[in-house]
Amino acid sequence: MNVKEYISSGIIESYVLGLASDEERREFESYSAQYPEIAEARDRFEQQLEEQLLADAPAPPVALKARVKAALQAERIVPVDGDGFAHEAPVRRMNPWKWAAAASVLVAAGSLFWAAQLRQQNQDLQASVRNGQETQQQLTEARARLADLQDQANTLRNPAVKMASLNGTPKAPKSQVMVFWDSTSRDVYMMVKNLPRPASTEQYQLWALLNGKPVDLGVFDFRQEQLLIKMKGVQAAQAFAITLEPHGGSVNPTLEKMYVYGDL
Amino acid sequence: MSAKTTYPEGELVTLLRQKDEGAFSYLYEHYSGALYGVVRQVVADEELAQDVLQEVFVSIWRKIDSYDALKGRLFTWMLNVARNAAIDKVRSKGYQQSLRQTSLDVSESSHPAVRPGIDDYGLKKTLSRLKDEQRQLIDLSYYQGYTHDQIAKALNIPLGTVKTRLRTALSQLRTMLS
Repeated sequence: MNVKEYISSGIIESYVLGLASDEERREFESYSAQYPEIAEARDRFEQQLEEQLLADAPAPPVALKARVKAALQAERIVPVDGDGFAHEAPVRRMNPWKWAAAASVLVAAGSLFWAAQLRQQNQDLQASVRNGQETQQQLTEARARLADLQDQANTLRNPAVKMASLNGTPKAPKSQVMVFWDSTSRDVYMMVKNLPRPASTEQYQLWALLNGKPVDLGVFDFRQEQLLIKMKGVQAAQAFAITLEPHGGSVNPTLEKMYVYGDL
Repeated sequence: MSAKTTYPEGELVTLLRQKDEGAFSYLYEHYSGALYGVVRQVVADEELAQDVLQEVFVSIWRKIDSYDALKGRLFTWMLNVARNAAIDKVRSKGYQQSLRQTSLDVSESSHPAVRPGIDDYGLKKTLSRLKDEQRQLIDLSYYQGYTHDQIAKALNIPLGTVKTRLRTALSQLRTMLS
């Protein structure tokens, strides 16, 4: 086999990205065990991919971490994998002949009763398992919501977090937004109290102002379930402002469309 | 939170297998962004993408024992878990009904518009440097999870051609990343 050709055939990328067929996978795994160059090339591509994806990744909403954590905690208490039921107890055998004749009548009568009882117990058990799962689900959700709120409360309580109150410009005097800037982590959070609904082709964009220059802190969707929205961080800021921009945001703020402004 | 600690990959895997919470927290801090990125590129809807990411971390936690370091890096494994979960979500009945879209929609993907905040980072950004035809193939197979066979039928080109073109596109991707 020509190892070089194989390496540059695109198989490495197919394998790593999960696009190879089962047959190609098996073949690739056996070749990379035989030829160290193939395993090395795979490892290099994996590292490059990892580096690029880690360097250039969007931040998931800050509250999602608490949700994931609560889901994992629930996971540990209630193992969902496996059959979830106790294994059947082994049946004890008795000496058959001695008892068989006398017992058979009793067994026949008893087994009818027993079967009925077992069936009832089984139904009860199934119902309570269902209830338990529902309760567990509700508990997980409630925990996640609580953890969310706790996280947000901690952010607000943190003495390193400074607050700017952004008030409406004459364009929209009732608008109000609070911006929180963490002076240690440089993270920026925002709480929207009131902003007019934008057209679907437009998005609000938050800016930090430093020595008269605007710094983009990202666009955000109008409807947000979160109380605190995490925006891009900024090293320093003297003021913050929000403008309405075409969907996706702009490089420079459109000053005629500034909705709120406030000093830090 | 020990976000500043870094673990060598082998140690991290061992700790994860012991269900160590600190290691998991690190895993989240370190990788959630990249995994969220690929999930959002498959499932555009932000809320749904968050649900998927939660499922992904639960799967990682459950299935960490099945990760085999001989077959690749931890990140690669997680990336595949994330991509598969996202594609499963998009393929799920509820999602399909909400989109009223059940068959391979070639017309839309043949002119993939760049969605701001979704397509302008990570692998998709790199892909944007490929030829349209190549990008479409990667989009259909990687981001939409169609088999080579389905793509060949939908685009009306021979199966062999789909395979060769895709392979060529993928090997160019590696050159671009290095």
